[in-house]
Amino acid sequence: MGLFDKLTSWLGLKKKEVNVLCLGLDNSGKTTIINQLKPSNAQAQDIVPTIGFSIEKFKSSGLSFTVFDMSGQGRYRNLWEHYYKDGHAIIYVIDSGDKLRMVVAKDELDTLLNHPDIKHRRIPILFFANKMDLRDALSAVTVSQLLCLENIKDKPWHICASDAVKGEGLQEGVEWLQDQIRAMKT
Amino acid sequence: MSSVPQEMKDTSVACSKWLDAHYDPVANLYTFTSCIALSDLHGDGDNKLVVGDLGTGVCNMKLKVYRGTGLLSESTLLDLPTGLVSFLMDLHEPRTPAVAVASGPFIYVYKNLRPYFKFTLPSLEVNPLEQDVWSQAKEEMIDPMTLKEMLEGIRDKAEIPLSVRSLRYLMLDPQEMEAFVHLHKDQPIRRQTVITCIGTLKKNMADDDAVSCLVIGTENSDIYILDPEAFTILCKMSLPSTPTFMDVTGQFDVEFRITVACRNGNIYILRRDSPKPKYCIELSSHPVGLVRIGRNVVVGCTHETLHGYTQKGKKLWTAYLPAAVTTMALMDLPARAFQAVLVALANCEVHMYRDKNLICTIKTPDVVTSICFGRYGREDGTLLMTTKGGGLIVKILKRTAVFDDKDSAPGPPIAQSIRLNVPKKTKLYVDQTLRERENAVAMHRAFQMDLSRLRLATARAYVKALESSLTPVSESPTEPLKMNAVVQGLGPSFKLTLNIQNTAACRPVMNIAISFLYDENLYSMKTAFFKIPLLVPGLNYPIDTFVECLSDKGISDVIKVFVLREGRSAPLLTAHINMPKRHDLTL
Repeated sequence: MGLFDKLTSWLGLKKKEVNVLCLGLDNSGKTTIINQLKPSNAQAQDIVPTIGFSIEKFKSSGLSFTVFDMSGQGRYRNLWEHYYKDGHAIIYVIDSGDKLRMVVAKDELDTLLNHPDIKHRRIPILFFANKMDLRDALSAVTVSQLLCLENIKDKPWHICASDAVKGEGLQEGVEWLQDQIRAMKT
Repeated sequence: MSSVPQEMKDTSVACSKWLDAHYDPVANLYTFTSCIALSDLHGDGDNKLVVGDLGTGVCNMKLKVYRGTGLLSESTLLDLPTGLVSFLMDLHEPRTPAVAVASGPFIYVYKNLRPYFKFTLPSLEVNPLEQDVWSQAKEEMIDPMTLKEMLEGIRDKAEIPLSVRSLRYLMLDPQEMEAFVHLHKDQPIRRQTVITCIGTLKKNMADDDAVSCLVIGTENSDIYILDPEAFTILCKMSLPSTPTFMDVTGQFDVEFRITVACRNGNIYILRRDSPKPKYCIELSSHPVGLVRIGRNVVVGCTHETLHGYTQKGKKLWTAYLPAAVTTMALMDLPARAFQAVLVALANCEVHMYRDKNLICTIKTPDVVTSICFGRYGREDGTLLMTTKGGGLIVKILKRTAVFDDKDSAPGPPIAQSIRLNVPKKTKLYVDQTLRERENAVAMHRAFQMDLSRLRLATARAYVKALESSLTPVSESPTEPLKMNAVVQGLGPSFKLTLNIQNTAACRPVMNIAISFLYDENLYSMKTAFFKIPLLVPGLNYPIDTFVECLSDKGISDVIKVFVLREGRSAPLLTAHINMPKRHDLTL
């Protein structure tokens, strides 16, 4: 850390760095959500399936987010656990329209929650029940029931319905996450 | 999905490798493995389930398409489907596969789920005699009864079988015949066969998205390969029997191999450029499922067995199943280079076999009638099953599931299959085996002769013993007796106990005496002759006597015991008692 960095952080000008893991099955809308959270001039037009992972950075009211946008494809899901240690918060995205794979989302969530790097940490988890625009989408309440979110007792969590293409519901979720991180840091 | 019944939750614990994604017990799907396929029908990476639903077997035949947990579309089929495949027929973009439904003598090809083409099997040769008879009937030269008699004559003798029309005519009641002839006499006679199975064969490239030909098997024991775009017959092959199950691999323009299970209980393997089967596997019972896994063929048989064969017809293994096989399918997971055979059984279980090892068992709430594994929706490892009661089950293989090769079926331990370090064959052994092989007949004869001699000698000795009453058991019908003798003591005096028993059912034995014969220089006996009291049947009579050994040279002899009957010179029983040597106590 350079002298200037030390100075700014002491003065409270530099924003706090937060590492966030963005997880979820393939085609659930992780990259689209991250893309929407970026400033409008930095947004990508075309979203393609993520290979491996990509790192995105954006700032939001006093916090500097570094998001690890992990690929959700089955063959890359074993990469997730290598980043658990560095993450301060988790965003878990669910495709509300994919009823068939809700069990897969639950299975991956259970694996995540039982991982030794996560199990005993009070890490905040934000769930996005995405693709609410779909006609046959499940409600956020149904999604939380299907994923048995009520069983998560030792971690703060929050679920919000979202439509990442239009950007609806994202801000609400991110604000909850900021509150949690501030509460955690102080 | 929230209505997943309790029993499904229970089974998920039993086999934790699978996630229960969906179960609809009233999906109203009645179908078989040959009539279901997974296909990316719209070219959007979202695979759908295409089902040829047999309905009740009489009505409600439908082509149904499932997406996720719901029905996407359904269209009515005209006849019962016998097979359904999805294949790419051209190179046009977008690459959307067509669906071919075989039913009766037709193949209905659907593109974008709309009817696109109808292929009809070429009609077969009609018996000229039959044709003549019908033309006579048309000109009213013969009456319906004569027509019937003539057709029956043709049916019994002719090599070319009758057409469906004539067969139907022969079944009619006499009063209906006239109307039938009148109705049909102007139409030409046609004889048509029906499709029994259908498969696909890549045309000239091995890629997943290569253009494929249709391969069909017919009731007439023929195999046709059709051009993917024009639906002309590219190739025709003949089998000795009607095909029922078919597996096709390879490319039409390069080399291919068609494995066909037939109704005569044989499996034939056809290759390119051979109009006749190249190899034949004769099964011990009829096949009920056929799966090719790599270079091997796995066949489920009616005898509750599963056999593995090489592609040249050599038998590799047999696995015995707990119940009858209902259907079979291949489980192929290319991302993990994993292949196994799924066998649905009549006891509501699905077994997963890798070679002959049972690696996983899935319990289902109903008997599974069709089974299919592959990419469904966006998930690669999805297992789809429909049940006898019309239910649909979807299970997803867990990402973390590991199948160990160990056989989970109870059986001999692994140690038994470890090869032993057997020493090399010696020259002596090899010579001996050679000699045995060359002189097998002579050796067998010599052995048989010696065996006969031995038997003869035994029989003679036995007869002699019986004749001279040397045995301790008397078989004479009037005095059935049994005797055994016990010698007690160390010497010089011994106690001799004779146990005599009457083995008759109810008759007592009287007037019996016992006498001893011994060397008087060696032994002395207090009483060498007894009279035996009446012997009640079944009771044991112990008779004691004492023997004094006179010699002190440590020699012993035999004492003979005779059971005699008054008034007869030949003894009833004889026993030889080997006397022990005397052991004088040194006092």
